[in-house]
Amino acid sequence: MNFLRVINKEIQENKRSLLIYSLTIFLVLFMQGMFTAFMTRQGGYSTSVYTGMFPGFLFLGGFILTSVFFAQDMFSRTGQHNWLTLPASQAHKFLAKGILTALAYPIALTLLFFGSSIIIESLTLILFKDPISLFNPFVNNTGKMFLHYGVNQSIFLLGATYFRKAHFIKTVLALSLIGIALSIIAAFFIRVAFAPYFTTMFGVRLSFPVNIMQTHSTLTTVARWIANLLYWGILPIFCWFTAYLRVKEVQATDAVQ
Amino acid sequence: MIHMHNIGFQYGKKPLFNALDLAIQKGNIYGLLGMNGAGKTTLLKILSGQLFPQEGDVQVLGYNPVLRQKAMLEDLFHLPEEFFLPSMRGDHYLTLYAPFYPKFDHTAFQNYCTDFGLDLKQKLHELSFGQKKKFLLSFGLASQTALVILDEPTNGLDIPSKSQFRRTVASAMTQERTFIISTHQVRDMENLIDPIIIIHSGRVVLEASLASLAQQFIIEVEKSEPTGSHIIYSEKIPSGWVTMQQRNEESLETPIDLETLFNAVIANPQAFTHMRRETL
Repeated sequence: MNFLRVINKEIQENKRSLLIYSLTIFLVLFMQGMFTAFMTRQGGYSTSVYTGMFPGFLFLGGFILTSVFFAQDMFSRTGQHNWLTLPASQAHKFLAKGILTALAYPIALTLLFFGSSIIIESLTLILFKDPISLFNPFVNNTGKMFLHYGVNQSIFLLGATYFRKAHFIKTVLALSLIGIALSIIAAFFIRVAFAPYFTTMFGVRLSFPVNIMQTHSTLTTVARWIANLLYWGILPIFCWFTAYLRVKEVQATDAVQ
Repeated sequence: MIHMHNIGFQYGKKPLFNALDLAIQKGNIYGLLGMNGAGKTTLLKILSGQLFPQEGDVQVLGYNPVLRQKAMLEDLFHLPEEFFLPSMRGDHYLTLYAPFYPKFDHTAFQNYCTDFGLDLKQKLHELSFGQKKKFLLSFGLASQTALVILDEPTNGLDIPSKSQFRRTVASAMTQERTFIISTHQVRDMENLIDPIIIIHSGRVVLEASLASLAQQFIIEVEKSEPTGSHIIYSEKIPSGWVTMQQRNEESLETPIDLETLFNAVIANPQAFTHMRRETL
């Protein structure tokens, strides 16, 4: 019950910003939908506006939303007080924000796209006699997109609680640095593991067998299994748990904005 | 109700509290006094779990405030000096936040708002600073929490509102509640706060009721500069010298002027050491 109260408080307090964001999405879809319908009528190709734009709003929009969702409550000199002294457990306060950005956002975005497509397609049918092409969330790997969003969003959730300002930029920067570091480590690992195939430090022998992956099928299977485990299992759990610990330890001295 | 033992706290490398001890009993309106930067706000934030002490133990309402447990927060209301109110109407705020406080008294809230002249249909962000403070104060008093922490509550209030504030706090006081009011405006708090806590140089240097202070000290105005070991503090004023001195058995009790008391404690904290020990 108390958890629902916390969620309701989050929604009510962010209602205005979320409405503006929703309206922006609708207007972008509307403009694009009208333009595409007009161009199709002029003999251009008909393309789906919705499936093209959905990943952008899902991933980029979701990551930015997640990044800023903790800012006022965790790192604002005046706003922090209300959140820290709100009579709710720290787990509820954290989970309310986490669930809204990880689960509610993709669902709401899907509904918004579907609702917008009904309005826009009806208008284009009336104005341009363009055939109706509603947004269908059950095609084009949308489900898999949601799963990838869930995993990657957890990184931004951690960034939102870890960095005290410029959360999104710093998370992207940190990801880039980690990516570079992992690439270097991977390069050295390959150099060591496949040493017989190298002639110089990073020069590969010309007779490098193309079927090397089949030759080392067990190794690649294990590597893929580990990569899947890290990506789908360890990464989101680590990010959520670390972000929760960060919420637990945040105090007034962390407020910077 | 509140026990702080051997508290150490510092901002960066600058120490603020060093082995601070404090014990607070329920059923009182404590006045927390201290110079600028003495750590009054820090102390209040430690009590409400917004800052974690680096050393020592704290117990608030039987809970460790560091954990910020729901049960503790349900029974604690903290009005900070600077605050944020969401962009919504007063009645909407009430609908959203009141359910978090199980003992919230809606009738009392309406009465406090009426006393302070607040319109709940008005958007909170359109209110003046003083009106916002009165709104939050009304909310905090109506929450019926066992512990109410007010940090500089009269800052930003107009003169009628200050007396209204004293009346409202006095009417909201019960034997089961405790108020801790931090203030620089001691004149605003006269006849309201008792006992008095004064922090100085990282420690609690005075923690005593006005009655016990009046039994041991007198404050008088003398025409010439007073001298002698019984004089704890003296200050030149246009009509002579205001002095605080040890009371002997023949002298009558005098009211304790908070400003003089505060100046005396800061100037001569050793003279009050025994007052602190008595209450712990």
